[in-house]
Amino acid sequence: MNANGRSPFPWSLLRFWTLRILPAWFLIALVIFLFQLAICGIVHDNERVKALIQYIDMLPAFLKTFIGGEAVRYGNIAGLIAIGYQDPLILLLYMLFAVGVPTALLAGEVQRGTMELILSRQTTKTHVYICAGLITVVGMYALVLVMFLGTVVSTNLYQFEQQVPLYNFFKLAINGGILASAVGGIALLAAACFRRGMAVSLTVAFLVVNYFIMIITQWWPRMKWLDPVTIFNYVDGAKIFMKPTWPVSDMCVLISLLVVSTMLGSVVWWRRDLPL
Amino acid sequence: MKALEVKTLTKRYGSARGVEDLSFEIEKGEIFGYLGPNGSGKTTTIRCLMGLLRPTSGECCILGRRVVPGKATEHNHIGYLPGEFRAWPGLTPRKLLRLLARLGNGDQIDKRQEELAERLDLDLDRKMRALSKGNRQKVGIIYAFQHQPDVLILDEPTIGLDPLIRQIVLDLIREIAQAGATILLSSHDLSEVAAVCGRAAILREGHLVELAPISKIAQQGQRRIKIWFVEGTQVPELLEDQLPDVRIIQQNTNTLHISYQGTVDALLKWLAQFPVDRIATTETSLEEAFIHYYQKEAGHER
Repeated sequence: MNANGRSPFPWSLLRFWTLRILPAWFLIALVIFLFQLAICGIVHDNERVKALIQYIDMLPAFLKTFIGGEAVRYGNIAGLIAIGYQDPLILLLYMLFAVGVPTALLAGEVQRGTMELILSRQTTKTHVYICAGLITVVGMYALVLVMFLGTVVSTNLYQFEQQVPLYNFFKLAINGGILASAVGGIALLAAACFRRGMAVSLTVAFLVVNYFIMIITQWWPRMKWLDPVTIFNYVDGAKIFMKPTWPVSDMCVLISLLVVSTMLGSVVWWRRDLPL
Repeated sequence: MKALEVKTLTKRYGSARGVEDLSFEIEKGEIFGYLGPNGSGKTTTIRCLMGLLRPTSGECCILGRRVVPGKATEHNHIGYLPGEFRAWPGLTPRKLLRLLARLGNGDQIDKRQEELAERLDLDLDRKMRALSKGNRQKVGIIYAFQHQPDVLILDEPTIGLDPLIRQIVLDLIREIAQAGATILLSSHDLSEVAAVCGRAAILREGHLVELAPISKIAQQGQRRIKIWFVEGTQVPELLEDQLPDVRIIQQNTNTLHISYQGTVDALLKWLAQFPVDRIATTETSLEEAFIHYYQKEAGHER
């Protein structure tokens, strides 16, 4: 307890948790980075681009839409590189981090019994929640930066016939980061309310429902009115590349979702008893 | 100022009972025993004191400050050993204890840590997952004692320890109390409570059934007496209406082993009518007193 009667911020807990998460973060970051290099490696070579587009044409329409839609065509270098940002594997890795980290740090520690040790020291519940939230959001943005770094490195490694609009990629990365952080916020809320298994299940169910809504709206024009319901609607690669401005309204929706779920989670976490 | 205060504390888990209207105080420097069977509410009380549970009503105070759940009230002055000490399996005790110390005001604990590890015969550099249950409990004890707290809250501290180490732990408790610390010792082991505590509270089904010095608690049990009648004398029949608090434990040809409650006066007057060779009494153990409290509350008492 310091002079003003407040518990000091538990930097050692933040450090300890960061070090625990680091191996998984590093592995995900490496895959994301290498994926960007691989995509750019394919895209800079015209023959390989043709093969890639033939392959993409064979995919179901919803998957094709999901990885870029009409933007994925011969001659559109930016649209082809953006596959590396929207590929289901990359999204899965982001979601893995967004769901896994807060549920491991909050619900996981409670279930293991170690949360009782943490809270028996000079650490408040709010501090613990802030630590989990910080690691989730900062970790997520670090992944986004690694992804963007992958594109920057690739554009220096390979020669492209057109100029690669790196600024647009930066915007896309930041928006993707906000989307993943919003999912992290949902996972934090779930972890504050339930046991780990239940928290993971609910967050994954939330993602799956959102994903299927997106597919339905892509397939069935009469269901287009459902677009605003799915969180995936708020990261629109085509719109980001076409318009020079930032998609502020979409970002606000995702940031609101992040803030509301995180705040709600903090209230539940604060009021919740540790299970005996 | 009391070191620990529990004021009309009630904690319910939905419709299930935790503790009901508990009140007690612990003086500074006191070693206070907290007894009760499984599920009686000992751990619930302790978790309310630690701010880990939110009381349904009532409050707890530590060193004069009201415990606010989740706010780590006075935790820099508290040493806490949970009922089940569980830690991160990949850490060594040294790293674990250092991490937990750094979450408080324990920057200078290394020397104390080594000293305690030596006394408890614990290797601080083996991973937690490789330690036996008893050794993990030793880590928990070092954790509770390492920063020389003003208040120690120990939930079953000697569980899983061998008798030699148990004795060392009891010595540690006495030493820290002599240095001025206050100790709340929750235990099933009545002998260890009797060995170190001055006062104790007994809890049953969430209610406080006794709060008294250990010596007084020990007197509450059924006392026993064995009577040898003169050879050839038939053991007289015990009349329930004359001696309502007396119960036969064992009866042989010329011996009678009985238990009684209250004073021995009525029993001696009844025995004076018969030729008695000798009598022997046995000390009431704390265990008997303890059982007496549970039976009494459960309505099993004769």
